[in-house]
Amino acid sequence: MPQTLTVRIDRPAGRSIRIWIPILPVLLVLSPLLLLAALAALAACLVFHVNALRAFGTGWRIFTALSGTRIDIEQDRTAVLVVLR
Amino acid sequence: MNEQRKDILDMLAEGKITADEAERLLAALDRGLNEPAPVADARPKGKAKYLRVVVHTLENDEPGRVNVRVPLQLLRAGVQLAALIPPQALEKANAEMAKSGVPFDLTQLKPQQLEALVDQLDEVTVEVDQPDAQVRVFCE
Repeated sequence: MPQTLTVRIDRPAGRSIRIWIPILPVLLVLSPLLLLAALAALAACLVFHVNALRAFGTGWRIFTALSGTRIDIEQDRTAVLVVLR
Repeated sequence: MNEQRKDILDMLAEGKITADEAERLLAALDRGLNEPAPVADARPKGKAKYLRVVVHTLENDEPGRVNVRVPLQLLRAGVQLAALIPPQALEKANAEMAKSGVPFDLTQLKPQQLEALVDQLDEVTVEVDQPDAQVRVFCE
């Protein structure tokens, strides 16, 4: 699963923003909200007759497959880089 | 020295093949077999790990660049979402598509087929070259 999320925004005039987010600690801190979101997703699965176990399994597979994703956009003198490791 | 032997030795000299591969090819030539020459950059099928999309644009003399790298495992996991769509939703989508003149049956689309499609992406390279934009989609 991805361990860190790095976001770098380079703006004109040499200003840049760099954010480094450790994913697992952030998920632990947000766990109550995640639990609420999981309950809402479970309710949605029941309403729309979707196999909840399969849905959560697919969601987990998507999350763990994010590791290695890299998005790099540069336009004019602005650049945005998002890396999931 | 015949032409085929010379080609093999040239490939060895250029580093396109190893000494072992050259020896095997020469042995096959001696046996009179036709063995296809190994390709220097061949990699086993299905070993690509990432889908890359690279776009270079030139808008109002300002260069722009988009470079996206997505793990193929993410695509494989994503196609499994298709299996979660309820049959009623698929039928509604089919009806709407048929109304629009696209008689495509989404219920016939299986996740295994989509996964096989993702596996074959390994061989796909798409290149678009225009004066103000170049797009390249490939797997690595």
